[in-house]
Amino acid sequence: MLLQQIINGLTIGSVYALIALGYTMVYGILQLINFAHGEIYMIGAYMGIIAITFFIYIGLPDISIALTLVLTFLAAIIFTGAYGITLERVAYRPLRNAPRLSILISAIGMSIVLQNYVMLAQGARDKIFPHELKIGGELIIADAHITYTQVLIMALSVLMMSGLTWFIKKTKVGMAMRATAQDRRMAGLLGINTDRIIVITFLIGSILAGAAGVMISMYYGIVNFYMGYTAGIKAFTAAVLGGIGNIPGAMLGGILLGLLEALGAGYISSEYKDVFAFAVLVLVLIFKPTGLLGERISDKV
Amino acid sequence: MKSFYKIFMFLFLLSFLFACAKKEDVIKIGTAGPFTGDQARIGQDMKNGVELAISEWNAKGGVLGKKIALLAEDDRHDPKEAVAVANKLVSSGVVGVIGHLNSSATKPASRIYNEKSVPMITPASTNPEITKQGYNNVFRICGRDDQQGTELARFVVEILKKKKVAVLHDKTTYGQGLAEEFKRSAGNKIEVVVSEGVTQGDQDFKPVLTKVKSASPEVIFFGGMHTEGGLIIKQAKELGIKAPVIGGDGLYGSTLIEVAGPAAEGSYMAFFTPTAETEIGKNFVKNYTAKYGEIETYAPYAYDAANILLKAIAESKTTDGKKLIETIRKMKYEGAVGTIEYDDNGDIKKAGYTIYTVKDKKFITYDKVK
Repeated sequence: MLLQQIINGLTIGSVYALIALGYTMVYGILQLINFAHGEIYMIGAYMGIIAITFFIYIGLPDISIALTLVLTFLAAIIFTGAYGITLERVAYRPLRNAPRLSILISAIGMSIVLQNYVMLAQGARDKIFPHELKIGGELIIADAHITYTQVLIMALSVLMMSGLTWFIKKTKVGMAMRATAQDRRMAGLLGINTDRIIVITFLIGSILAGAAGVMISMYYGIVNFYMGYTAGIKAFTAAVLGGIGNIPGAMLGGILLGLLEALGAGYISSEYKDVFAFAVLVLVLIFKPTGLLGERISDKV
Repeated sequence: MKSFYKIFMFLFLLSFLFACAKKEDVIKIGTAGPFTGDQARIGQDMKNGVELAISEWNAKGGVLGKKIALLAEDDRHDPKEAVAVANKLVSSGVVGVIGHLNSSATKPASRIYNEKSVPMITPASTNPEITKQGYNNVFRICGRDDQQGTELARFVVEILKKKKVAVLHDKTTYGQGLAEEFKRSAGNKIEVVVSEGVTQGDQDFKPVLTKVKSASPEVIFFGGMHTEGGLIIKQAKELGIKAPVIGGDGLYGSTLIEVAGPAAEGSYMAFFTPTAETEIGKNFVKNYTAKYGEIETYAPYAYDAANILLKAIAESKTTDGKKLIETIRKMKYEGAVGTIEYDDNGDIKKAGYTIYTVKDKKFITYDKVK
């Protein structure tokens, strides 16, 4: 039972971690809590279902299921990437030098706009992930059942998180991102195009959220226009838990949150599933206000 | 400029007058249920049933010489929203209300309707408390959870012959109430190995199901609706749980089969006993499917509810709520779901439940399987 609960927790935790990365990266650079980030994840989930329905229609899964999946993920992240960049351009860039509260309100506004836009465009009913494309099979380790979808979610998340770490640590753009996060004005004076770096940050965050959306729609098989809200709150909690603005912190926070939920629900009571996660958040913030891995004291919103 | 404003204000006020004057030309009927979100499909189904009844009456010239207008409000199966919506319907002057759908929405809303003596007929809320509040304006066309709880308990004990049961519910008035009724009527004939609440709207039930699995029940009882039910059935299968999932009328809905997929086969749910086919029933099915497509669940009940309300208006020749309530209570109505007569609480006299199961992506009555 313990192993199964850990698997349950890791699966959902890695999804939280992917979304939390988007919150934390944007916060690191702009000190903005991008409340519309959860909606980007929701759009990713919708794009996944739309793409896969299209591929089933043209009969692609009969040729190769792996190719279908790769193309579905690609389609979803291209669209969410585009949404992320547009979001930054439309809602945040014009307010770059405005008071911090204006940009926060703008973020909340965009969240509502995107939610209602998807509701109007896609209908208010739940969308169901087609059963035709089932990644059948499971691993059974000592009474714990791990479906291949879960394996895929965990493997892909680890892959993307290590890819991101490498990107931030080793590449020139990654270095520029870190510099911008430390001091945007100084980075600009040293010849870094900070506007471009901000766009890249939004792009990466949205890609991660989009991929998370596709994974969750495959896992639960059900998607709706308000799913971004709860997921967004949970992922934001994960980011704060790990220390907002800190990239490894977001990963740790996400996975920890997933594990806490699963173990709390499994061993204590599922009626208070959400309570455990938030109770731990409160405790961590009392004893370590910057979060588990955070160093900077934030005096912002 | 000042005179311009005066004229503007005058016109503005005049427009209100017109709006008020126009109000009297129609008889307003309200309906409320979850028209968006995870239960949109059954909510829409209910609304369509009401709409069909109204359009048929309107085609015959309306009622009391006036056309009938339908005001449909979305309560998103949220108790708070239900109260807001009920107030809105009452203040816009509805004569009667068909709804709400979910017990947790119907219960708080019924108080609002009662204050203004607006008759309400719910086609789907099965919680026993709803008709026990001492409100004389509350009627329903469906059965009660103590009735279906008894039927479900009997099914588990006598037909499935299982003893160890895990009981889950979604913490709503309906879900928790049904789970309690099931446990109560099964008594000591079953052994409840796990009893847990889950959150409606949650999608990850694997942690609680892992706990259920380690208690190795023979049957999993779920008091709740089809979206969560479908996810529970699917995730239980993924965890390697072999015990079948059983539940009430909330599980009866094509969403369950869509969400759970092949895992839905062999799960059980109680639903209203199918009635012998009447002429009205056949006509209803024909007209409904021609206009809206396949019937989901509650459409025939909503259709009958609307007809009862409209017939009461026609018979008592008034839109006065108190008189309508009296007429409905005395009425004997032959509808699409059979003969409907009310007892003093507002429950129907004959309410039967039958166990259904899923076979080949369809709900069929259990006795047909054998």
